[in-house]
Amino acid sequence: MSTWLAIAGVAASTFLLRASFIVFADPQRFPKRFRQALTFVPPAVLAAIVVPGLLLNQGAIDLSAANPRWLAGVAAIVVGGKTRNALAAIATGMVALWLLQWALG
Amino acid sequence: MLLGTIPFGFVAGVAAISAGMTALQGIALSVLSFSGIAQLIAAQLIAAGSPVLVTIAAAFVVSLRFLMYSAALSPHLAHLTLGWRLLLSYLMTDQTFATTVRRYGEPGDKRSRHWHFLGAAVTLYGSWQAAVVMGVVAGASVPASWSLDFAVVLSFIALLVPAVRTRADLAAGMAVELRREARR
Repeated sequence: MSTWLAIAGVAASTFLLRASFIVFADPQRFPKRFRQALTFVPPAVLAAIVVPGLLLNQGAIDLSAANPRWLAGVAAIVVGGKTRNALAAIATGMVALWLLQWALG
Repeated sequence: MLLGTIPFGFVAGVAAISAGMTALQGIALSVLSFSGIAQLIAAQLIAAGSPVLVTIAAAFVVSLRFLMYSAALSPHLAHLTLGWRLLLSYLMTDQTFATTVRRYGEPGDKRSRHWHFLGAAVTLYGSWQAAVVMGVVAGASVPASWSLDFAVVLSFIALLVPAVRTRADLAAGMAVELRREARR
Protein backbone atom coordinates (compact mmCIF):
# COMPACT_ATOMS: atom_id res chain seq x y z
CA MET A 1 0.00 0.00 0.00
CA SER A 2 2.74 2.48 0.93
CA THR A 3 4.47 1.65 -2.36
CA TRP A 4 1.33 2.68 -4.27
CA LEU A 5 1.19 5.92 -2.26
CA ALA A 6 4.82 6.63 -3.13
CA ILE A 7 4.12 5.92 -6.83
CA ALA A 8 1.13 8.28 -6.78
CA GLY A 9 3.16 11.00 -5.05
CA VAL A 10 6.12 10.69 -7.41
CA ALA A 11 3.78 10.78 -10.42
CA ALA A 12 1.98 13.87 -9.08
CA SER A 13 5.29 15.64 -8.34
CA THR A 14 6.73 15.09 -11.81
CA PHE A 15 3.48 16.04 -13.55
CA LEU A 16 2.81 19.20 -11.53
CA LEU A 17 6.37 20.47 -12.01
CA ARG A 18 6.15 19.88 -15.77
CA ALA A 19 2.74 21.52 -16.03
CA SER A 20 3.64 24.38 -13.66
CA PHE A 21 4.19 27.16 -16.18
CA ILE A 22 2.81 25.50 -19.31
CA VAL A 23 -0.60 25.07 -17.70
CA PHE A 24 -0.86 27.17 -14.54
CA ALA A 25 1.44 30.18 -14.20
CA ASP A 26 3.25 33.08 -15.83
CA PRO A 27 7.05 32.61 -16.03
CA GLN A 28 7.67 36.36 -15.82
CA ARG A 29 6.97 36.19 -12.09
CA PHE A 30 9.88 33.84 -11.56
CA PRO A 31 13.08 35.62 -10.41
CA LYS A 32 16.28 34.82 -12.29
CA ARG A 33 18.26 34.15 -9.11
CA PHE A 34 15.76 31.48 -8.09
CA ARG A 35 16.15 29.80 -11.50
CA GLN A 36 19.94 29.81 -11.13
CA ALA A 37 19.71 28.34 -7.64
CA LEU A 38 17.52 25.52 -8.96
CA THR A 39 20.27 24.29 -11.29
CA PHE A 40 22.38 23.29 -8.27
CA VAL A 41 19.70 21.20 -6.63
CA PRO A 42 19.56 17.96 -8.72
CA PRO A 43 23.35 17.28 -8.59
CA ALA A 44 23.29 17.80 -4.82
CA VAL A 45 20.48 15.27 -4.37
CA LEU A 46 22.10 12.72 -6.70
CA ALA A 47 25.35 13.01 -4.76
CA ALA A 48 23.49 12.45 -1.49
CA ILE A 49 22.16 9.15 -2.91
CA VAL A 50 25.40 8.01 -4.57
CA VAL A 51 27.75 8.45 -1.61
CA PRO A 52 25.95 6.08 0.80
CA GLY A 53 25.38 3.64 -2.09
CA LEU A 54 29.14 3.40 -2.55
CA LEU A 55 30.45 3.61 1.00
CA LEU A 56 27.93 1.71 3.10
CA ASN A 57 28.49 -2.00 3.58
CA GLN A 58 25.85 -3.63 5.82
CA GLY A 59 24.94 -0.31 7.41
CA ALA A 60 28.44 0.97 8.24
CA ILE A 61 30.93 3.10 6.28
CA ASP A 62 33.45 0.65 4.84
CA LEU A 63 36.45 1.99 2.92
CA SER A 64 38.34 -1.31 2.98
CA ALA A 65 38.96 -3.64 0.07
CA ALA A 66 36.23 -5.90 1.49
CA ASN A 67 33.63 -3.43 0.15
CA PRO A 68 33.85 -3.82 -3.65
CA ARG A 69 31.19 -1.16 -4.31
CA TRP A 70 33.29 1.93 -3.69
CA LEU A 71 36.17 0.53 -5.77
CA ALA A 72 33.78 -0.24 -8.65
CA GLY A 73 32.27 3.25 -8.21
CA VAL A 74 35.68 4.92 -8.50
CA ALA A 75 36.32 2.95 -11.71
CA ALA A 76 32.98 4.19 -13.08
CA ILE A 77 33.76 7.81 -12.12
CA VAL A 78 37.17 7.68 -13.83
CA VAL A 79 35.77 6.15 -17.03
CA GLY A 80 32.73 8.47 -17.02
CA GLY A 81 34.96 11.52 -16.60
CA LYS A 82 37.33 10.47 -19.37
CA THR A 83 34.83 9.26 -21.96
CA ARG A 84 31.78 11.42 -21.06
CA ASN A 85 29.85 8.29 -21.96
CA ALA A 86 27.19 7.18 -19.49
CA LEU A 87 26.93 3.68 -20.88
CA ALA A 88 30.71 3.15 -20.65
CA ALA A 89 30.64 4.31 -17.01
CA ILE A 90 27.79 1.93 -16.07
CA ALA A 91 29.36 -1.02 -17.93
CA THR A 92 32.77 -0.41 -16.32
CA GLY A 93 31.25 -0.21 -12.86
CA MET A 94 29.24 -3.42 -13.26
CA VAL A 95 32.16 -5.41 -14.70
CA ALA A 96 34.47 -4.09 -11.96
CA LEU A 97 31.93 -5.08 -9.28
CA TRP A 98 31.56 -8.60 -10.71
CA LEU A 99 35.34 -9.07 -10.94
CA LEU A 100 35.86 -7.83 -7.37
CA GLN A 101 33.05 -9.98 -5.99
CA TRP A 102 34.52 -12.98 -7.80
CA ALA A 103 38.05 -12.19 -6.54
CA LEU A 104 36.82 -11.74 -2.96
CA GLY A 105 34.95 -15.03 -3.20
CA MET B 1 21.26 15.00 -19.12
CA LEU B 2 21.09 13.19 -22.44
CA LEU B 3 21.51 9.50 -21.88
CA GLY B 4 20.95 6.38 -23.93
CA THR B 5 17.22 5.82 -23.54
CA ILE B 6 17.13 2.03 -23.90
CA PRO B 7 19.86 1.06 -21.37
CA PHE B 8 18.72 3.72 -18.90
CA GLY B 9 15.11 2.53 -19.13
CA PHE B 10 16.27 -1.05 -18.71
CA VAL B 11 18.13 -0.11 -15.50
CA ALA B 12 15.04 1.74 -14.25
CA GLY B 13 12.93 -1.40 -14.79
CA VAL B 14 15.46 -3.64 -13.03
CA ALA B 15 15.68 -1.12 -10.17
CA ALA B 16 11.92 -1.20 -9.56
CA ILE B 17 11.95 -5.00 -9.18
CA SER B 18 15.15 -4.96 -7.05
CA ALA B 19 13.39 -2.46 -4.76
CA GLY B 20 10.68 -5.03 -4.08
CA MET B 21 7.97 -3.54 -6.32
CA THR B 22 5.68 -5.88 -8.23
CA ALA B 23 5.87 -5.84 -12.05
CA LEU B 24 2.59 -3.89 -12.12
CA GLN B 25 3.95 -1.29 -9.67
CA GLY B 26 7.19 -0.91 -11.63
CA ILE B 27 5.34 -0.35 -14.90
CA ALA B 28 2.78 1.96 -13.24
CA LEU B 29 5.59 4.09 -11.79
CA SER B 30 7.12 4.40 -15.25
CA VAL B 31 3.88 5.11 -17.14
CA LEU B 32 2.69 7.67 -14.57
CA SER B 33 5.95 9.53 -13.92
CA PHE B 34 7.89 8.98 -17.21
CA SER B 35 11.14 10.27 -15.72
CA GLY B 36 14.23 8.10 -15.39
CA ILE B 37 15.76 10.05 -12.54
CA ALA B 38 12.51 10.22 -10.54
CA GLN B 39 11.92 6.48 -11.11
CA LEU B 40 15.45 5.56 -10.02
CA ILE B 41 15.36 7.79 -6.94
CA ALA B 42 11.98 6.33 -5.96
CA ALA B 43 13.27 2.76 -6.44
CA GLN B 44 16.42 3.47 -4.44
CA LEU B 45 14.51 4.98 -1.52
CA ILE B 46 11.75 2.33 -1.51
CA ALA B 47 14.50 -0.32 -1.46
CA ALA B 48 16.03 1.43 1.58
CA GLY B 49 12.66 1.36 3.35
CA SER B 50 12.36 5.17 3.45
CA PRO B 51 9.09 6.78 4.57
CA VAL B 52 6.67 7.55 1.70
CA LEU B 53 6.98 11.31 2.21
CA VAL B 54 10.78 11.19 2.00
CA THR B 55 10.55 9.24 -1.27
CA ILE B 56 8.09 11.74 -2.74
CA ALA B 57 10.15 14.73 -1.54
CA ALA B 58 13.35 13.35 -3.10
CA ALA B 59 11.59 12.72 -6.43
CA PHE B 60 10.15 16.24 -6.27
CA VAL B 61 13.55 17.81 -5.66
CA VAL B 62 15.34 15.97 -8.49
CA SER B 63 12.46 16.95 -10.78
CA LEU B 64 12.76 20.69 -10.05
CA ARG B 65 14.50 21.11 -13.40
CA PHE B 66 11.09 20.53 -15.04
CA LEU B 67 10.02 23.84 -13.49
CA MET B 68 12.68 25.59 -15.57
CA TYR B 69 11.81 23.66 -18.73
CA SER B 70 8.15 24.50 -18.21
CA ALA B 71 8.95 28.20 -17.78
CA ALA B 72 11.12 28.20 -20.92
CA LEU B 73 8.52 26.48 -23.12
CA SER B 74 5.33 28.10 -21.82
CA PRO B 75 5.47 31.23 -24.05
CA HIS B 76 5.65 29.00 -27.15
CA LEU B 77 2.71 26.86 -26.04
CA ALA B 78 0.43 29.58 -24.64
CA HIS B 79 -1.76 29.64 -27.79
CA LEU B 80 -2.61 25.91 -27.51
CA THR B 81 -5.76 24.42 -25.98
CA LEU B 82 -5.69 23.15 -22.39
CA GLY B 83 -5.75 19.55 -23.63
CA TRP B 84 -2.63 20.09 -25.73
CA ARG B 85 -0.81 21.81 -22.87
CA LEU B 86 -1.67 18.99 -20.44
CA LEU B 87 -0.54 16.36 -22.96
CA LEU B 88 2.77 18.09 -23.78
CA SER B 89 3.46 18.69 -20.07
CA TYR B 90 3.00 14.99 -19.34
CA LEU B 91 5.38 14.03 -22.17
CA MET B 92 8.13 16.58 -21.49
CA THR B 93 11.59 15.14 -20.69
CA ASP B 94 15.19 16.38 -20.71
CA GLN B 95 15.73 15.11 -24.26
CA THR B 96 12.45 16.45 -25.66
CA PHE B 97 13.02 19.82 -24.00
CA ALA B 98 16.48 20.07 -25.60
CA THR B 99 15.27 19.30 -29.13
CA THR B 100 12.08 21.36 -28.82
CA VAL B 101 13.81 24.48 -27.53
CA ARG B 102 16.24 24.28 -30.44
CA ARG B 103 13.36 23.89 -32.90
CA TYR B 104 11.52 26.92 -31.47
CA GLY B 105 14.73 28.94 -31.84
CA GLU B 106 14.76 28.47 -35.61
CA PRO B 107 13.24 31.18 -37.85
CA GLY B 108 9.85 30.77 -39.60
CA ASP B 109 6.26 30.09 -38.53
CA LYS B 110 6.21 28.72 -34.99
CA ARG B 111 2.52 28.15 -34.46
CA SER B 112 2.47 24.52 -35.60
CA ARG B 113 5.75 23.41 -34.03
CA HIS B 114 3.95 21.65 -31.19
CA TRP B 115 3.55 18.79 -33.70
CA HIS B 116 7.34 18.48 -33.73
CA PHE B 117 7.29 18.45 -29.91
CA LEU B 118 4.61 15.72 -29.92
CA GLY B 119 6.46 13.59 -32.50
CA ALA B 120 9.75 13.69 -30.60
CA ALA B 121 8.01 13.01 -27.28
CA VAL B 122 5.88 10.06 -28.48
CA THR B 123 8.91 8.35 -30.06
CA LEU B 124 10.85 8.68 -26.82
CA TYR B 125 7.86 7.59 -24.74
CA GLY B 126 7.46 4.35 -26.72
CA SER B 127 11.12 3.34 -26.53
CA TRP B 128 11.37 4.31 -22.85
CA GLN B 129 8.36 2.25 -21.75
CA ALA B 130 9.46 -0.73 -23.84
CA ALA B 131 12.92 -0.61 -22.21
CA VAL B 132 11.38 -0.38 -18.72
CA VAL B 133 9.19 -3.43 -19.40
CA MET B 134 12.28 -5.36 -20.55
CA GLY B 135 14.06 -4.34 -17.34
CA VAL B 136 11.07 -5.38 -15.21
CA VAL B 137 11.03 -8.81 -16.88
CA ALA B 138 14.82 -9.22 -16.57
CA GLY B 139 14.85 -7.95 -12.99
CA ALA B 140 12.37 -10.64 -11.98
CA SER B 141 14.47 -13.46 -13.47
CA VAL B 142 18.08 -12.41 -12.75
CA PRO B 143 19.56 -13.78 -9.48
CA ALA B 144 20.41 -11.27 -6.72
CA SER B 145 24.07 -12.31 -6.79
CA TRP B 146 24.45 -10.37 -10.06
CA SER B 147 24.00 -7.16 -8.00
CA LEU B 148 22.01 -5.44 -10.76
CA ASP B 149 20.78 -2.96 -8.11
CA PHE B 150 24.27 -1.44 -8.23
CA ALA B 151 23.49 -0.27 -11.79
CA VAL B 152 21.21 2.34 -10.18
CA VAL B 153 24.06 3.91 -8.21
CA LEU B 154 26.23 3.74 -11.34
CA SER B 155 23.60 5.47 -13.44
CA PHE B 156 23.53 8.33 -10.91
CA ILE B 157 27.33 8.53 -11.19
CA ALA B 158 26.97 8.64 -14.98
CA LEU B 159 24.54 11.54 -14.59
CA LEU B 160 26.66 13.32 -11.99
CA VAL B 161 30.08 13.25 -13.62
CA PRO B 162 29.16 15.57 -16.49
CA ALA B 163 26.79 17.57 -14.24
CA VAL B 164 29.47 18.45 -11.70
CA ARG B 165 31.23 20.81 -14.05
CA THR B 166 31.63 23.77 -11.73
CA ARG B 167 33.03 24.00 -8.25
CA ALA B 168 29.72 25.44 -7.14
CA ASP B 169 28.02 22.14 -8.01
CA LEU B 170 30.66 20.18 -6.17
CA ALA B 171 30.35 22.41 -3.12
CA ALA B 172 26.54 22.07 -3.11
CA GLY B 173 26.84 18.28 -3.33
CA MET B 174 29.34 18.09 -0.53
CA ALA B 175 27.34 20.45 1.68
CA VAL B 176 24.27 18.20 1.45
CA GLU B 177 26.34 15.14 2.29
CA LEU B 178 28.08 16.77 5.26
CA ARG B 179 24.78 17.97 6.68
CA ARG B 180 23.40 14.42 6.45
CA GLU B 181 26.42 13.02 8.20
CA ALA B 182 26.29 15.71 10.90
CA ARG B 183 22.68 14.80 11.70
CA ARG B 184 23.52 11.15 12.37
